[in-house]
Amino acid sequence: MSNTNDKLPENVTSLAELEDAKLARQAEDSKSQGRIVIGRFLKHKLAMTSSIILVFITVMAFSSVGWGVFPGWWDKSYLNAGSVIDGGKPTLSLVPTWLGGEGIRWGENPFGQDSIGKDYFALVMTGTQKSIIIGVVVGVVSTFLGAVIGAIAGYFRGWVDEVLMRITDLFIVIPLLVLAAVLGQLAGATSGSIITLALVLGLVTWTGLARLVRGEILSLREREYVAAAQAMGSKTSRVIFKHLLPNTIGVIVVNATFAIAGAILLESALSYLGFGVQPPESSLGLLISQYQNAFTSRPWLFWWPGMIIVAIALSVNFLGDGLRDAFDPRHTGKRRRRAGLFALPTRKEKP
Amino acid sequence: MSTEATEDYALSFNDLKVTFETAGPDVHAVKGLSLAVRPGEVVALVGESGSGKSVTSTAAMGLLPENAQVTGVAKIGNVNVVGLEAGKMRKMRATDIAMVFQEPMTALNPVLTIERQLTEALELHDVAYGKEATDRAIELLTMVGIPDPAKRIRQYPHQFSGGQRQRIVIAMAISCEPKVIIADEPTTALDVTVQAEILDLLRELKDRLNTGILLITHNMGVVADMADQVAVMFQGNLVETGDVKQVLLHPQHEYTQRLLSSVPRLSRVSVEEPAPRSEPIAQADRELVLEAKDLILEYDMRGTVFRAVENVSFDVAKGEVLGIVGESGSGKSTIAKAVLGLLPVASGTLSVKGHNLPKLSPRQARQVRKQIGVIFQDPAASLNPRFPIGDCITEPMVVHKVGSKTERIKRAQELLDAVKLPRNVINRYPHELSGGQRQRICIARALTLNPELLIADEPTSALDVSVQALVLEMLQELQRDFNFACLFVSHDLAVVDMLADSVVVMQNGKSVEQGRVDTVLHAPTHDYTRRLLAAAPVPDPIEQAVRREAWRTLNSTK
Amino acid sequence: MLKFIAKRLGSALAVLFAASLLLYILVINSGDPLKDLRESNADNREYLMAQRIEYMELDQPWYLRYWDWLTGVSKCFVGQCDLGRNINGVEVSGLLANAASSTLRLVLIATLIAAILGIAIGVLTAVRQYSGLDYTVTFLTFLFFSLPVFWAAVLLKEYLAIGFNDWIAAPDISLGTSILVGMILGLILQTFLAGSLKRRMLTFAVVTVFVPLAMQYSLWLNFYRYPQMGPAFIVVLTALVALSATAMSTGLKEKRVLYPALITVALVLIAYYATFYLMAEPNTWILLGGLILAVLLPALVGRFMGGRLRKVAASVAMATGFVGAALTVVDHLFRAWPGFLDNKGRPISTIGSSTANFEGGYWDHFLDNGTQLLLPTILLAIISLASYSRYTRSSMLEVQQQDYIRTARSKGLSERTVIFRHAFRNAMIPIATIAAFDFAGLIGGAVITERVFGWKGMGEMFATGLDRVDANPVMAFFLVTGTAAILFNLMADIVYALLDPRIRV
Repeated sequence: MSNTNDKLPENVTSLAELEDAKLARQAEDSKSQGRIVIGRFLKHKLAMTSSIILVFITVMAFSSVGWGVFPGWWDKSYLNAGSVIDGGKPTLSLVPTWLGGEGIRWGENPFGQDSIGKDYFALVMTGTQKSIIIGVVVGVVSTFLGAVIGAIAGYFRGWVDEVLMRITDLFIVIPLLVLAAVLGQLAGATSGSIITLALVLGLVTWTGLARLVRGEILSLREREYVAAAQAMGSKTSRVIFKHLLPNTIGVIVVNATFAIAGAILLESALSYLGFGVQPPESSLGLLISQYQNAFTSRPWLFWWPGMIIVAIALSVNFLGDGLRDAFDPRHTGKRRRRAGLFALPTRKEKP
Repeated sequence: MSTEATEDYALSFNDLKVTFETAGPDVHAVKGLSLAVRPGEVVALVGESGSGKSVTSTAAMGLLPENAQVTGVAKIGNVNVVGLEAGKMRKMRATDIAMVFQEPMTALNPVLTIERQLTEALELHDVAYGKEATDRAIELLTMVGIPDPAKRIRQYPHQFSGGQRQRIVIAMAISCEPKVIIADEPTTALDVTVQAEILDLLRELKDRLNTGILLITHNMGVVADMADQVAVMFQGNLVETGDVKQVLLHPQHEYTQRLLSSVPRLSRVSVEEPAPRSEPIAQADRELVLEAKDLILEYDMRGTVFRAVENVSFDVAKGEVLGIVGESGSGKSTIAKAVLGLLPVASGTLSVKGHNLPKLSPRQARQVRKQIGVIFQDPAASLNPRFPIGDCITEPMVVHKVGSKTERIKRAQELLDAVKLPRNVINRYPHELSGGQRQRICIARALTLNPELLIADEPTSALDVSVQALVLEMLQELQRDFNFACLFVSHDLAVVDMLADSVVVMQNGKSVEQGRVDTVLHAPTHDYTRRLLAAAPVPDPIEQAVRREAWRTLNSTK
Repeated sequence: MLKFIAKRLGSALAVLFAASLLLYILVINSGDPLKDLRESNADNREYLMAQRIEYMELDQPWYLRYWDWLTGVSKCFVGQCDLGRNINGVEVSGLLANAASSTLRLVLIATLIAAILGIAIGVLTAVRQYSGLDYTVTFLTFLFFSLPVFWAAVLLKEYLAIGFNDWIAAPDISLGTSILVGMILGLILQTFLAGSLKRRMLTFAVVTVFVPLAMQYSLWLNFYRYPQMGPAFIVVLTALVALSATAMSTGLKEKRVLYPALITVALVLIAYYATFYLMAEPNTWILLGGLILAVLLPALVGRFMGGRLRKVAASVAMATGFVGAALTVVDHLFRAWPGFLDNKGRPISTIGSSTANFEGGYWDHFLDNGTQLLLPTILLAIISLASYSRYTRSSMLEVQQQDYIRTARSKGLSERTVIFRHAFRNAMIPIATIAAFDFAGLIGGAVITERVFGWKGMGEMFATGLDRVDANPVMAFFLVTGTAAILFNLMADIVYALLDPRIRV
């Protein structure tokens, strides 16, 4: 309780009365933690900008070339070769003529063409679409596995925990990329669809989140409200899913976003090495790998997919950072709001 | 207090104001404080949460965060430290003003040896160097009563107990012989017997070094024990200052009066001579709710079994309150945990309404649990932050599938009335309430299913004095109305004395003495009970002086 | 302590064993090793297939093959490693020797650079929380987190390496460029050094004037092709280090610290002349021994003369000695540079881990290896630097909230002492754990970097092996990197125990 500036009832001479008076005067709507978090997130400029960029890229990727049975608005296909116009240079221009540019223009092949005349915009958009799908599927799978396994390990401890820690140790010995490459190769050999690849990647990327959730649960389970719930006879599942996991939602949501960014980068690295997405499927990593030798002759073939990977990964990471700030305002803020070395001193009592 | 006095003050404030700039409105933490500490004098700065007492001390040390605006004068000796240049302020710390913090467990750097932490201030302020500094540090440790200091100085903080760590922090504070020591709740985190020892140490050092002490505390007993002068703060204002006897025995301001009346007091105790025992015969019509026989409880820490409670027997009947008192590590909370089913019973019986808990099937145990309500210590952690208050209160009904939705809401409203909180709180969230209010919600939740038994584990020890008084009063009232049996765990003898009918005194997992409150707490036979009673300070300087002597005699004969 | 290490080592070996089994099963099932032959229409197809089946023991069940591999590996303990043959029948152990050294060198150097720089940047940004520097570094770390390694590698190769090689052929910096560089450096430096507005402006002005002048002067000297330093310059620089280190630790008035430092400067000069011919054609052991002496002797001098300040005196003298030794090495490198350029006109290579058939002395080889390592190291270091700085920053911020930091401040310690003596060690405790995972990440990164830069290293061995479903090279890769990771992890554990007395047994 801090003594704020606003008018308080005069002549109150007891802290208890003062607190009750404050509560009675609290007029505004009460906010749940979720609403407070969303409010803080909406005020986070960088995170909001990132969200807009992400939505823009996603909408472009899915609407332009279409998805599944839905046709897209872009008339060229990424499979058809055509005649190469003007060396395949991109026709997209963003510099207006009065600045000495070629005017704002979209053109026939906005991202240019490759050496056999395929439209690069269609190629890149298809790749983007697949990369996003992989990122999201991996994010969902690894978040689900990580949250559940972490919660169980943290709550029951004992052998479950032991097994989890040993599996985590595995990733010190086999680098994630290596294991993912082997599994990617395995998935490629068996089915070749990107969903299989994504599921397999999800199977190896959950350990980080599991460790974090486990740590959170280990500290949360010592909270008294958990003891109270157990004491009143709540079932274990209720304790875990009503009392514990919802309170780790911050960690989970934030890390789910980081997992998506990580998955997109991992997929691109695997595809570059040849253990990820296999042609005729497409992805951004595969595009870079296919066109890396064209850097000197057709640099745009290299730049577009790379820039889009960086844009997606960067926006997702910033989004995650904004979410973290929203969930845990201790780490936010400008100098003014800073809780410095000492926040307002509060009395701590005997444990 | 006269501000132009030519007397040499060790520390003085004149119209000190501290304002914090925050994202919301500015917070006026201290609103014009004037106060002075003479050398060799103890001035107690008393107040509840948010009174601004800790901010005052931090301002004197020049350690306020950057968003604090300080105006007025805070003088150490003759130097005004408000707005003093950082380098000069640093030179004054330790040599002119030193601080003893509240939390000894975290106040020492865990990765540096005690030697390093003690000698660095000595070397920094040119008091002693190298071997000489180490010798001086050993001397300091001897002075604060650390046994075998020459050897233990090379150890790390985790190798010392809480009380010893606070002694080391004190040694650090006196190392450069400062003019004034600020002791910010120096004993709050410690057990009463350790508290008495630390206060004794502070008093002795102060006399020896002629240092002024600004003692910041919320504990009126500590004030009565230590202080020469008292200043009472409330919401950033200084409401009353004066001599300790005058303020504690004849308070002028209404706030002080009410504060003092809120302090639970041990009624007169004889700590000198054991009175003859007369065990009251249990009435035949006692309806037993909780009964423990030869209870043994153990913690399994990775294979090594630690026995926390050994052969304890007690019973609680309907309408009775049984207090369990003891210091940290005595096993008192472990018993509460076992009753709540959070810890398995290793041996012995523990029955609720005749059902022996260890023998029950999970389904039966659930039915028994329905009849037990619980209140825990920490109001910040005892409510799920994601549940609105209404859900918190009605959770037991949901778990045991009692009532329809409207019935549950109705019940929640009734209970809110019972704990005197407005009904619209139902849709608010725990973070919007103060600690005391949250603790009242916990009481409401505990009573939701009209339990036969209430387990209260230190329910008021994290609360301010006046809030504690309110909560205790409420508990008593509710117990009268609902007539439940209550197991009340506490470290505070005065609270137990006020609330309980009978009491179990625990030490190191064993019950050293038990029986009716008026015999055990007023005519104790066991040495430990007597020491515990003698160590608990009372808010009356005259009586406390007598008790202090009694405690010393008891301790010397130990 | 020993028990603790033994226990960790034991569980690590168990994990290594389990991981090897898992990896083996996964790899041999990841495809068909005979695929290319099945599709080929060569005349001797049957013969080739039979040969490959024999090489790879494909006629055996998987557990026997694994057992064979395991027994072969266990012979390593008696110094006779048998890691099997690859798909073409070549002994893997023979291939391994060259591959391992270049990859491990790359990963170790990158780890070292990343850890030291990353932790330093992390501490700096934590101390200057919410400053321009903090925001810039935060943005950059996020950018590095979001960069696909191979994509960045291609960029580095195209711009940095090729650009530098073109430039070094005829070094030239226009006046405009040098002024621009000066201004940018000035801006960067003033954010790093911070301080009052006046101080910042002064820093900026000095740098903006000095850097372009130095650049033009060095061009006039033809410094970039014929760099020179000489003993006089070494002495001046070392003396500057000695003076500023003394000033920062105790102040120049403290003779007990100043004199050992100045004596060290004299020692550096003597050593420079005494070792001149030895250093012209040294070997690695001489360099290492010299470095140890260069640190040890000054430390002794400092200890001897420092009196009650002997710890400070020793560390100041050690720092001086180290800088002196490093400058001496740089001087010899400078002398070797023109010859190296004649030998290799485009110094920064983009392909391979060392130049084939390269002739020259020790320093030439040193420069050759160095320039080959340059790009991959920069790349790997940058990426893991981002995570080190991020973790250090948050760990430092966390620690600075602790009560014992307040205690330290209340003793009147200066901010620097509070940060370095009290906060830093505590903040490093969680970093030790993260380092182990980061090392594994770097090995993964090395696989990609080696592909981009065309190294014939471990990563390449893994990638081609896996591509051809050839288990033995993949397992050899795993054996080396896994063992390295375990050793590194063990080191992290020891550091952890040293940092935190609470877990020492």
